[in-house]
Amino acid sequence: MAISTDAVDAQQGVDTTERWIRQYAHDHVAHLLVVAFLGAYPLVYSVLTAIGAGGVFEAFLPKIETMTAVFYFGLFAMSFDFISGYTGYLSFGHAVFYGAGGYFVILVANGKVPLLPPETPFMVSVLLAGVLAALVALAIGSVSFRLSGVYFAMITLGFAQVAYVFMRDWEFLGSNPRDGVAVSNELHPNAFEIGIPGVDALNLAVGPLRGDAVEWLFLDLGATEVSYYMIGLVVLVCYLAMQRMVHSPFGRVLVAIRENEERARAVGYDTYRYKMAAFAVSGFFAGVAGGLFAAFRRSVSPDNSLYFLVTGDALLASIIGGFGTLAGPLYGRLFDRGVREFLSKTGGGGGLLPLLREYVPPSVLDTGIVNGMTVGQSIETFLNGHASLYLGIVFVVFVLYVPGGLLGSLRDRLGGPVAKRLPAYLRNLRK
Amino acid sequence: MSAAGTVVDVLVSGLAKASLYAMMALGLTLIFGLLGVLNFAHGSLTMLGAYAAGLLMVTFAGSGFGALVWFLVAGLTAGVLVGGLGAAMEVALIRKLYDRPPIYQILLTFGITLVIDELARIVVLFYGMQPQTDWQAALGTKPSFIADTFAVLGGTVSHLELFEILWGVLTVVAVWAFLNRTRYGLVVRAGSEDDEMAAALGIDVRRVFTVVFALGAGLAGFAGALLMWDPAWAASVPLASETLLPAFVVVIVGGLGSFRGTVVAAVIVGMVDALMTYLFDHAIITFSGLPELTVFLILVGVLVVRPQGIFGLAEVGGH
Repeated sequence: MAISTDAVDAQQGVDTTERWIRQYAHDHVAHLLVVAFLGAYPLVYSVLTAIGAGGVFEAFLPKIETMTAVFYFGLFAMSFDFISGYTGYLSFGHAVFYGAGGYFVILVANGKVPLLPPETPFMVSVLLAGVLAALVALAIGSVSFRLSGVYFAMITLGFAQVAYVFMRDWEFLGSNPRDGVAVSNELHPNAFEIGIPGVDALNLAVGPLRGDAVEWLFLDLGATEVSYYMIGLVVLVCYLAMQRMVHSPFGRVLVAIRENEERARAVGYDTYRYKMAAFAVSGFFAGVAGGLFAAFRRSVSPDNSLYFLVTGDALLASIIGGFGTLAGPLYGRLFDRGVREFLSKTGGGGGLLPLLREYVPPSVLDTGIVNGMTVGQSIETFLNGHASLYLGIVFVVFVLYVPGGLLGSLRDRLGGPVAKRLPAYLRNLRK
Repeated sequence: MSAAGTVVDVLVSGLAKASLYAMMALGLTLIFGLLGVLNFAHGSLTMLGAYAAGLLMVTFAGSGFGALVWFLVAGLTAGVLVGGLGAAMEVALIRKLYDRPPIYQILLTFGITLVIDELARIVVLFYGMQPQTDWQAALGTKPSFIADTFAVLGGTVSHLELFEILWGVLTVVAVWAFLNRTRYGLVVRAGSEDDEMAAALGIDVRRVFTVVFALGAGLAGFAGALLMWDPAWAASVPLASETLLPAFVVVIVGGLGSFRGTVVAAVIVGMVDALMTYLFDHAIITFSGLPELTVFLILVGVLVVRPQGIFGLAEVGGH
């Protein structure tokens, strides 16, 4: 007799809500594991660096502040991947949405946006930033989606560069728009708060300097850690929303467009509307990411938010992490930032430099190699501060030989999306 | 200033800008026309050419007219060096991707850009120079009379502008002559039209691809040499992205892969740029980003109205 399990449960009086939660947890076990790991990371980091082990952990583990940057930029890279990786339309001007979000949040806080007072809660302004970016996406998309391939990439790039030049030289923004705009400390002295607007107890301020610190049970979280958790929380919610869309019938149509748009149209889908919707969603989350970025740093500049190389960074993260896998760009960005921090010029967050100073005796560093150039000098010349070179090489190698990226390759190996395959894999282990 | 002077000013500086734009974009359009690869590394190759030519000039060149001869040598050498690098790139990397979707070629060349730019930064830093700022020593190898100006009909014209126009025109003519008056040019045009047919007729298309990529890259290097002398551009690592974007605009406005279109688009973009620079310089419009903004607006406008560009084929653009 064909009775669904739910019906059986209801008859037997089993709480269906509980069953639903168990099913959900089962489906998302991969996500739970990642979230648990990231949730424990600050604690692990502080314990391991406290142990010291001669600075080895500090050298290899990314700082909490770096991880926060990975979160908000990872969200931007995911939104880039949402349109570029899933529909195959390379949105080379994606930075315009990131910048729109960032500028909007800062301008609201500075009281430069009509109708919105400087004390507008951040959660409201970041949401509006997303909506604004989505509207910009619809405007750009309505023109751009008449084109495809290289032409689509170029027209979106053109729009983004128009916005870049405009914001770079628009004097309304501040005295020196080229250097960007910062939050006015007079109009908006408080840090931006993430939480539920209006309920003071449910808000925590973010930012490395002005953020809240929390003491709770045995935990003692500084402003950096609080920012990490709060921004991570927003990014998690955004990721889950996008993940839901990607695995819905809507997401299937996007993949169909990527694989063969003519066939998708022949089957009866109005692909133009699907592309527009996907672009708007992607723009929305890019705008939210830009808002988080601006809130964390309290400033935004044309070169770090609107320039086409910002899109290039998202592209790098997507290719390394996995083009067409939603979570991939986050890992790609983690890889990118990790390498950059490891090879940083100052050695501020650990990395190679202090490690070498600690462990390699000066006699080795001063050994000459060629033309009187010492080992130390060659490290200084070729390694520190030049992570872009190695990332570029990795990028080229990935484009040529690992087109699926990290997560895509893992997916191929498991035979399906990691989040879907892992539960079955674990169940097999238990048997 | 007289009206005639204004016209002379805008016209001459417009033509000079057009020459520079044409030189930045010619190689890009040549490569796209035959290979169908939108080369994101083009700007980086231009930047390498600027540094290579600058290095030769700083090392060897004297002053006066001798410097002009040296400049020709330096420009050609830069072109050959960068062209060789282009050939190596095509053989080692780009060749692997011809049968993948065109997006992958954009990705690959973008990655090559990252590598080239960072390598350039390492070398420049190694010799104790600042990669971000213009290389003044190379700018200084320009003979002083090049910077002189003279009056025509009430407008001012600089020797540098005339020099740039001359170089631009000569380069365009040389490429045109290569494509239309030589046997190899015929092969290239045949390959652009239909590479499978050309291969069926016994032409080694793979080698033609390599040669054209080298030629396009060489033109980028050659253009870099000229930019190295222009104070508005000059040799620096960011020159890579500064030249890449206008080159894209020119190539797309003209119609991807169309030689004639690229030249016409360079003139249009150069003229509009000069006009907007004039309007800003004379405080008629006070928005400082005006010339750059207009250049990108031209790109967007053309893609909206005529996606295939002025001289592009209809089936190439859109779907």
